[in-house]
Amino acid sequence: MAAASYRGRRMVAALVLLSGFALILFRLFNLQILQAAELTVKADRQHRKAVSVQGPRGSIYDRHGKVLAINMDVPSVFGVPASLDDPSGVARDLSPVLRVRAGEIEKKLKQERSFVWIARKLDPEQGRRLERMPLEGIGVVMEGQRFYPKGPLLSHVLGFAGMDSQGLEGIERRYDPSLRGEKQMVVLQRDALGRTVFPKGLHEQVPSPGHNVILTIDEVIQYIAEKELEEAVTATRAKGGIVIVMEPRTGAILAMAVNPRFDPNTVQAISADRWRNRALTDTYEPGSTMKIFVAAAALEEKVMEPETLVYGENGRMVVAHTVIHDHDRLGWMTFAQVIQRSSNIGSVKTATALGAERLYRWLRAFGFGERTEIDLPGEVTGLIKEPRNWERRSLASIAMGQEIGVTALQLVTAVAAIANGGWLMKPYTVSEIRDEKGRVVVQVSPQVRRQPISPETVHTLSKILEGVVTHGTGSKAAVPGYRVAGKTGTAQKIDPKTGAYSSHLSVGSFVGYVPAEDPRLAIVVVIDEPQTEAWGGVVAAPVFRRVAEQALQHLGISSQEPVKLAMTTSSEMARP
Amino acid sequence: MIDRVLDSRQFDSFDWRFVAVVCAILAVGVLSIYSVTYAQPGGGLPLYVKQLIWILLGGAAFAIMLLFDYHQISRVSYTLYVIVLALLVVVLITGKTSRGAQRWIPVGPFAFQPSEFAKLVLILVLASYYARAPREGWMQRVVLPALIMMPGLFLILKQPDLGSGLSFLAIYAVMLLVVGVRSKALGIILLFSLMLFPFAWEMMWGSLHDYQRQRMMTFVDPAYDPGGKGYQALQSRIAVGSGELVGKGLYGGTQSQLKFLPEGHTDFVFAVFAEEWGFLGVLVLLALFVGLIILSLEIAYTAKDMLGALLAAGIIAMICFCVVVNIGMTVGMFPIVGIPLPLMSYGGSATVTTMAALGLLLNIKRRRLTLFY
Repeated sequence: MAAASYRGRRMVAALVLLSGFALILFRLFNLQILQAAELTVKADRQHRKAVSVQGPRGSIYDRHGKVLAINMDVPSVFGVPASLDDPSGVARDLSPVLRVRAGEIEKKLKQERSFVWIARKLDPEQGRRLERMPLEGIGVVMEGQRFYPKGPLLSHVLGFAGMDSQGLEGIERRYDPSLRGEKQMVVLQRDALGRTVFPKGLHEQVPSPGHNVILTIDEVIQYIAEKELEEAVTATRAKGGIVIVMEPRTGAILAMAVNPRFDPNTVQAISADRWRNRALTDTYEPGSTMKIFVAAAALEEKVMEPETLVYGENGRMVVAHTVIHDHDRLGWMTFAQVIQRSSNIGSVKTATALGAERLYRWLRAFGFGERTEIDLPGEVTGLIKEPRNWERRSLASIAMGQEIGVTALQLVTAVAAIANGGWLMKPYTVSEIRDEKGRVVVQVSPQVRRQPISPETVHTLSKILEGVVTHGTGSKAAVPGYRVAGKTGTAQKIDPKTGAYSSHLSVGSFVGYVPAEDPRLAIVVVIDEPQTEAWGGVVAAPVFRRVAEQALQHLGISSQEPVKLAMTTSSEMARP
Repeated sequence: MIDRVLDSRQFDSFDWRFVAVVCAILAVGVLSIYSVTYAQPGGGLPLYVKQLIWILLGGAAFAIMLLFDYHQISRVSYTLYVIVLALLVVVLITGKTSRGAQRWIPVGPFAFQPSEFAKLVLILVLASYYARAPREGWMQRVVLPALIMMPGLFLILKQPDLGSGLSFLAIYAVMLLVVGVRSKALGIILLFSLMLFPFAWEMMWGSLHDYQRQRMMTFVDPAYDPGGKGYQALQSRIAVGSGELVGKGLYGGTQSQLKFLPEGHTDFVFAVFAEEWGFLGVLVLLALFVGLIILSLEIAYTAKDMLGALLAAGIIAMICFCVVVNIGMTVGMFPIVGIPLPLMSYGGSATVTTMAALGLLLNIKRRRLTLFY
């Protein structure tokens, strides 16, 4: 009896204990098998968010590794409308932090979408405040915001990137495929606090960052160019201006300044007109700087020699029923003097001797009417008509640099071809692309487009162009201690109102290179619509001098013979 | 006295099975703790390493309980009970408060929880009490042990630690069942309970902390307040349910990894496991626990004497109660009362207590054939 009851109690005890487990098992079966789908959906809704994530955008550096564009992580706030119970309450809570009207936020939160941006690219403090707010269905993610630490410096070349880190202008656009981080569709997870986290095990798959781009630009020379251009534009009350500094031997751009400037950090507030890199998107009639290439053609074709005498017609000549003037009543002069004094009549006579076909062919040979193929977006070909479309006056006009549209970049590239002994280079702004570990992915080497002119002719022409500065119209471009070669240009602009050449709208320019015996810098200065004075020799040549002077010093390029020895040693020592 | 049992005879296959099951559950526990906490930042030792240290300490406790004859241990049970009561008083006075309850005594970087040890000591005390003499009559059988239990229960409920308090009651009830209660006595208890119920309810509900009331409320309908206290229950159910048949894989539990599931390494460690290993994993784990209970029952049934049987019954009651209630609350069958899952939840006091209890259990089995004295 006792044994039986004992055994009975044993059975009862075991059954009671195991029935507990049976209940649990039944419940688990219910949850994990029967309700599994429903609960999985609930779980997914809590933590999943499919978005495309992008690795951070690469940085842009100047040739010495100075940072010109970097990425900063800034907070953005998004909403998941489906998981909001009280959109208007949430909107009210967010409104003071975001400084956006609650109604606007509410409208976004009521959209029938799984994911909406509420506000993007906030400042870090706002992000911190948002993270402290325990709001269901609201999350904060860090996004890459493009930051240009130097503000407006080089802005026209750099361009800028948009809200989704897509390059929109300049280098940012042209090199977007390199700069852009790898893109991946990732199912992001949100933790219980609404913070986005990468799924476990996906750490290795975080998209890799974009490549870094190293420019040929020298930040210091760029700064000099922009500063001097700004001062000149202000002083002459001009509409704007362009300065390009190029390394003649390679075609590498050391500086490219466009005025007026803009700050790529606040690009939304600026009209699209200001973004254009007018050094290559806009053409202008170059005026007398074109005479360089007329002269080059004439010398190479042996139509003229430096000492060939040309009659200046006392400053007045009729061609195709129009009168051509010179600024002085010039009589007999050598061909060299035609260039140095910038005689229109002498140039027209030279062009006439060449003939339309040859003149056209030579201008094309120097790259006018074709893109330089620089690695920047938006470049135009320029305007140069084929001879069969020329009017009777055209030959004379073109000889004086009118009726032809060139970009400042085309002009400096062509002049660089004379500076470097006859090689027309392909200008470029990016020298290297490196991956995030610093390995070189792309190494850009200088590219010769062609050799339009012989070294002998270059030598002769260079002497003539030196004379422009030593005793011609370009005297204000002279850099003490250095031999400068160049040419001034003053072109009338077509008045958009009348459609005819204006008497007061002009473009003053100077293009040249230094040191003439071993050119290291080719520089073009274009001042658009100066109000105080029209002459390129007055408005542009001094800018050339100041930019050249400071750039030479910065580069440690020694001056001419008398002081050469001392300078060389000091600059040698200064180099690391 | 350390007797010859340990060195004279090898562990038999039963012992090995027993130890293997315990180790398997411990390993699953450490793995789950590792999975849910490894990505957490924070200085100091990672939690799973700490848990391994607790398991080592627990192993020591296991060995000690195995070393001494359980009769000797039972002789000091009242002394141990007094010590535990003193510790519980210390907890009330100077203890560390965490989440509204004062349960811990800080010792250096750690904190221990006397209410956990109290459970085992209660088993020892009640077993010694019943085993010493044939306790006849409901006064001796029911009321006196209840009075013995009262100071401990009171101190624990005062903390408040509802889970440990309920464990106390469970241990007491099972002991009563084992010694046998006449139906008359049972009837009286029932009657008293019914009469006292309104007062008890008033006292209970009135003395409950806000969070406990919330728990009661949300037990009824966890979905009514997903951001509030029902959150735990709901998240736990979602975690378990979304594990589906085969689970999301180790480290793959989204709900636990992303902190939707609170207390993933302590009270809700089962949910972590269920999410990552699915229904199939859960079947294996439950089989391990059931296996442990069956092996333990066998010890209880074959115990040499009343003391052994009572101790075994108490230990089984304690472990079984904790397992069922813990998993029950994880899957939404019970209110959340804060009971850790034995051998799996992170926690030094609970781990050491449970392992000591298992050591005692094996002690009972190993000495069933020895004549003593």
